[in-house]
Amino acid sequence: MFDYTFQWKQAMARLPQMLDGAVVTMEVAVLSMVLGIAMAVVLTLLRLSGSRPLAAISTTWVEIARNTPALFQIYMAHFGVASFGIHFSPFVSLLIGITFNNAGYLTENFRGALKAIPDTQARAGRSLGMSQISAFRYIILPQMLRISFLPMTNQMVWAILMTSLGVTVGMSMDLYGVTQALNALTFRTFELFAIAAVIFYLITKAITLSARLIAARLFRY
Amino acid sequence: MKKFTATAAILLATGLAGTAQADKLDDIIGSGTLRCAVVLDFPPMGMRDENNEPVGFDVDYCNDLAAALGVDAEIVETPFPERIPALMSGRVDVGVASTSDTLERAKTVGFSIPYFAFEMAVTANDSTGISSFEGMKGFTVGAVAGTYEAIALEAQVDAWGEGSFRPYQTQADVFLALSQGQLDATVSTSTVAQANVKTGNFGEISVVGTAPFDIDYVGLFAKRDEYGLLNYLDLFVNQQNRTGRYAELYEKWIGGDLPDLTVSGSYR
Repeated sequence: MFDYTFQWKQAMARLPQMLDGAVVTMEVAVLSMVLGIAMAVVLTLLRLSGSRPLAAISTTWVEIARNTPALFQIYMAHFGVASFGIHFSPFVSLLIGITFNNAGYLTENFRGALKAIPDTQARAGRSLGMSQISAFRYIILPQMLRISFLPMTNQMVWAILMTSLGVTVGMSMDLYGVTQALNALTFRTFELFAIAAVIFYLITKAITLSARLIAARLFRY
Repeated sequence: MKKFTATAAILLATGLAGTAQADKLDDIIGSGTLRCAVVLDFPPMGMRDENNEPVGFDVDYCNDLAAALGVDAEIVETPFPERIPALMSGRVDVGVASTSDTLERAKTVGFSIPYFAFEMAVTANDSTGISSFEGMKGFTVGAVAGTYEAIALEAQVDAWGEGSFRPYQTQADVFLALSQGQLDATVSTSTVAQANVKTGNFGEISVVGTAPFDIDYVGLFAKRDEYGLLNYLDLFVNQQNRTGRYAELYEKWIGGDLPDLTVSGSYR
């Protein structure tokens, strides 16, 4: 049934525009990871703080982030909060949505990593005269990040793929947004989306491979 | 086993020969069903009524086309970006989807002669004080990604050199953003603008004028190489006008003066 004449030349002429879009996609993904990791560390600390209200904030965040669609989170960051008069640009809305999702998943990763570190590590630090904070910072945190490094790579890949949901909030500069716009303009859907898929694949592959190299260097005994 | 292979080969060969002879027009008549891609997020051209049934100008137009062909109509809801995948994957036979007949798109699909023409209207959020097309300069404006008006509006924002443009995925999102104040104004087809303002669902917004863009002619579309079908579509559009059915449908869904579907000084 599928008969379609592929016009690669016509679609490839748009490659520069799509690569510009890929740069924006990377920007959003990297920013959302950096912010997401920072927030996940805070959320993990809140959970460990022993204070019930603080732990509840962290739990609620994780529950919503992990149990609702990423599309919903991004949509709410744009249209949801706007009904309270708070307006974010498409770029910022997308960034907030993905960061929210990243922070939620990473908090769970960190929690899993913490569970893998014996309690005695922190106690050993305390018995050497370190404060609780320094024990966390110098003994627990490095081990935690190490254990959760590869899951973090996974999250980074997911963040890149999530940028494609930005079209729902009017984002047009990222790879998927650019592809959609070109599709509407030229109707060469299948070529354009095939090119976009290859670009997405190459980006995520590059990230997984470089993460593996970094891990091999960083985590040598 | 050998016998089975031979039988399979014969069946396959006759099957292929069968499809090679009949064209799409024959296939539609033979199948007894005409499947139309219709956008149901584009009132009053396509939308859903209280019973969630598809209604609108495009829906009626598809029904008329099916009646002319002597087959049943099947309305396949298709968002704007999915019109091409729907056609190319064989999910629909023809697009009755308010599709602007741009030359760029005509490289991929075949268009009929125009069956409808849109004028563009400016709708603004009342709090902005925008009262004309020029008044949008410097504001945040938006439209449905990839539509005729979105492409023209984005170019205009670039030309003004101030303000910004945002494409949303659906007409509903554009009007939601407009009512929330995320967008200060939008350019849409005047029919959509009137229909959305009239619903009252979008708060303090008003149609404040027209946009000086060229008239947006829209055509029916089918596969580029289906000459038989495309020829039929052309004649069908022409017949709808001669018989007065176009005027009747226009009065039913839009009202007011009929737009002219012909371009003075040109053949098609």
